[in-house]
Amino acid sequence: MPNFNILVNGSRRSVQCDADTPLLWVLRDELQLTGTKYGCGMGVCGACTVHQENRVVRSCQISIHEADGLSFTTIEGLSLDGSHPCQTAWIEEDVAQCGYCQTGMIMEAAALLTKTADPTDAQIDEMFSGHVCRCGTYQRIRKAIHRAAASLRS
Amino acid sequence: MSVTRRSFLVKTVGATTGLMIGFRLDCAAKIDEATKVFSPNAFIEISVNDEVRLWATRSEMGQGVRTLLPMVLADELGADWNRIIVEQASPGGKFTGVRLRTSGSGSAVGTWRTLRVAAAAAREMLIAAAAERWNVPPSTCDTKNGGVIHRPSGRAIQFGEIVIAAAKLPVPKSPALRDPKDFSLIGKPIRRLDGQAIVTGRAIYGMDVKRPEMLYAVLARRPSFGAKLVSFDSEQAMRVQGVRHVLPVTTGIATGVAVLADGSWAALKGRAALKIRWSAGEGAAFDSDRFSADMQRGALLPGYPIRRAGAAEVEIASSSRIIDATYEYPFQAHATLETMNCTADVRDGFCEIWAPTQCPEVAQQETAKLLGISEDKVRVNITLLGGGFGRRLFADYVPEAVELSKAVGRPVQVLWTREDDMKYGFFQPPDIEVLRARLPDKGVPTVWIQKSVGSNLSMFGIPSEQDAKELDRYAKDGSPWGVFDNPYNLTHLTADFIPFNSPVPTGPWRSVEYPGTVFARESFIDEIAHAAGRDPIELRLAFLEPGDVLDLKVQKVNRARLQNVLHLAAAKSTWGSKLPTEKDWHLGRGVACNVYSEDCYAAHVAEVAVRRDLSAIRVRKIICIVDCGLALNPLGIEGQAESAIIWGLSSTLGGKIHFKNGQAQETSYSDFEVIRMDNTPAIEIHIHQGADSPGGFGETAVPGVAPAVANAVFAACGKRVRRLPITPEKLAMA
Repeated sequence: MPNFNILVNGSRRSVQCDADTPLLWVLRDELQLTGTKYGCGMGVCGACTVHQENRVVRSCQISIHEADGLSFTTIEGLSLDGSHPCQTAWIEEDVAQCGYCQTGMIMEAAALLTKTADPTDAQIDEMFSGHVCRCGTYQRIRKAIHRAAASLRS
Repeated sequence: MSVTRRSFLVKTVGATTGLMIGFRLDCAAKIDEATKVFSPNAFIEISVNDEVRLWATRSEMGQGVRTLLPMVLADELGADWNRIIVEQASPGGKFTGVRLRTSGSGSAVGTWRTLRVAAAAAREMLIAAAAERWNVPPSTCDTKNGGVIHRPSGRAIQFGEIVIAAAKLPVPKSPALRDPKDFSLIGKPIRRLDGQAIVTGRAIYGMDVKRPEMLYAVLARRPSFGAKLVSFDSEQAMRVQGVRHVLPVTTGIATGVAVLADGSWAALKGRAALKIRWSAGEGAAFDSDRFSADMQRGALLPGYPIRRAGAAEVEIASSSRIIDATYEYPFQAHATLETMNCTADVRDGFCEIWAPTQCPEVAQQETAKLLGISEDKVRVNITLLGGGFGRRLFADYVPEAVELSKAVGRPVQVLWTREDDMKYGFFQPPDIEVLRARLPDKGVPTVWIQKSVGSNLSMFGIPSEQDAKELDRYAKDGSPWGVFDNPYNLTHLTADFIPFNSPVPTGPWRSVEYPGTVFARESFIDEIAHAAGRDPIELRLAFLEPGDVLDLKVQKVNRARLQNVLHLAAAKSTWGSKLPTEKDWHLGRGVACNVYSEDCYAAHVAEVAVRRDLSAIRVRKIICIVDCGLALNPLGIEGQAESAIIWGLSSTLGGKIHFKNGQAQETSYSDFEVIRMDNTPAIEIHIHQGADSPGGFGETAVPGVAPAVANAVFAACGKRVRRLPITPEKLAMA
């Protein structure tokens, strides 16, 4: 099997697997980074969202071949101790219920705030229309994003 | 949590001596006051290093039980909130005979009192030990922040220092419970304890379990109901690198052929390469549109009596002002975000399971039966659940993993893909309600005749020859919910149930039987109000007179509590005030109310905008009043109500499941639409405490959503939609 090299959360990781293996399964099965979730495998739920540099990608939609040589951040690398403003805002607003989708939501929010310091509800709605939370925590997610945005600006 | 010097020392001592230090309060809460049956429920351990360990006897699926139980324990015991460690109980062992099933919004109701009794017993023992040491009367002592205090002198001692003495004392049989006014956590908004683990990705769900040597499996499953595996060719699949085995699977509800591999992707590729021949099953022709038409005709069949009052049939025959309507609620899927999965490790006559399950006891029983071993040889570890909503009350996905692990002698994790999860669920069965009423008039009593056509199996899963027996039970137990416990004081009332089953496995879905029946009842009340020229809230309040308690033997409905939430909904929504005029949109308000399983009351007001050309429907706001009695954790109740409203809205405006050729046609969230951020309305929850004891709150706010929205749509544009979901196409036809 071919060998691929990716940078994950700042560490160089070398994996052997089929070229068409989605990054999602490399992260979860090979690298044991299970904070990135499988929700649909077809890019419609957002649970597997990670960062490639400053851009959000659905890790189920990018193959290891395409990912080769690139740098990624997963929820495990967003902060060392859960202190990213989005993570603390999520706690403050008591967003999570079952919590399964929330790591993907937080990765989306963190990326949004690097581009848009003070997003409107309409901008949030647009960015998050690709995410599903079956517990329906959307209202709190919105609040948490505004809270995180405020804390990043101050 | 910082490790203090003392706790470090004690831990070291504990480790070197190998003794369990502290005391365990097994079976302290033995007596169920209602049944006088011994039923231990909560388990507490207090160690000499002051750690208080609590075993959660319900699964955490987002309802917050792993936060709520420690709150109850901390208050009743006087424990230090920051030193409570929550463990997850497993069936068997010291939990033999203890209910661990998580259902019916019962996490709080079913555990809180017995946990309080257990905690109060522990508190009395700790106080007795401290009082003896100090030589003071126990009545002068109390517990607080993890220690006993002597009130007159202010002396204090940590639990850890007296647990060994306390453990030697007899367990009090009926300890006194704290006065609720002394609670410091219960009633306060408390955030989820597992929030930190969730936001950092460290929380472990079923799919995150990793075992040494574990294989990943996916199944190619039956193409239609009842289809049987004839043969399969595994040659191409076995050529996929990483694929180890291809095996038939005979357990569960969606049997097929499993591909086991070193990783999920290899298993998925292997599955795609399988060639399988199936026989056509007896359900291969099932079509949900045809079924729906059949159900409509089912209303003409004789049914089972559910409610009888007055002489409805006689009265209606001589009435002129009659209103009729038929409502339909379609098949729905749970579609939990974490798909079904299970990890099993069968070896040496023992089986260990890791599963996100609402029914660990069933998982244990079925595994033991399958392997021919005793239940004590099966350990079920309950992980966090990435959503439950009733789907995980079935353990069908557990034996699949057990069967495969046994066959290959290694741990196996079975993954259901999203498509598997959509197609092979225990679906919310469809419901048809045929309603007929005489319009209320001055001095003329209302007549209400209801035919409820639905599945009688929603609690029981796969259809079986037991059906006939269950029917009897059905009416006696107060089903269908929403028909049986119709809260309105209707002089002449006849309600019948007509069972109508399909080959589709069905199961409880969030709020069980209420969604369809309450959609119909609360829409019909609205239709009556409009036809009679009455205000929909005023008419409901009148129908709930005299605000008494309706005693239905197996269930009671407190009409005054329902009236109260309606009054509050009217006030909070400024009901009756004029909505603004908008150029492109019709605006309207709609109301609905319901009582969930006798102890939780809710009223909803929806504000809806319908585009003037009927091309779009926007729910702008939902105000919900929740009265689930004593609000143990208002923040949690608020969150559950918000969640329930989005859940209800998904089936009101979003997707439904279609069956064709004996198979669900939906594959993912792309074709089974659920509410997302961009169609989330503003949600306002108001908690009203109408009783001193807590009621369930996980499902209460679901049923009222659909009728409140449908009624608001009617108020906005005069179009009445009686078949869910409400779509622009249906508005155009209405």
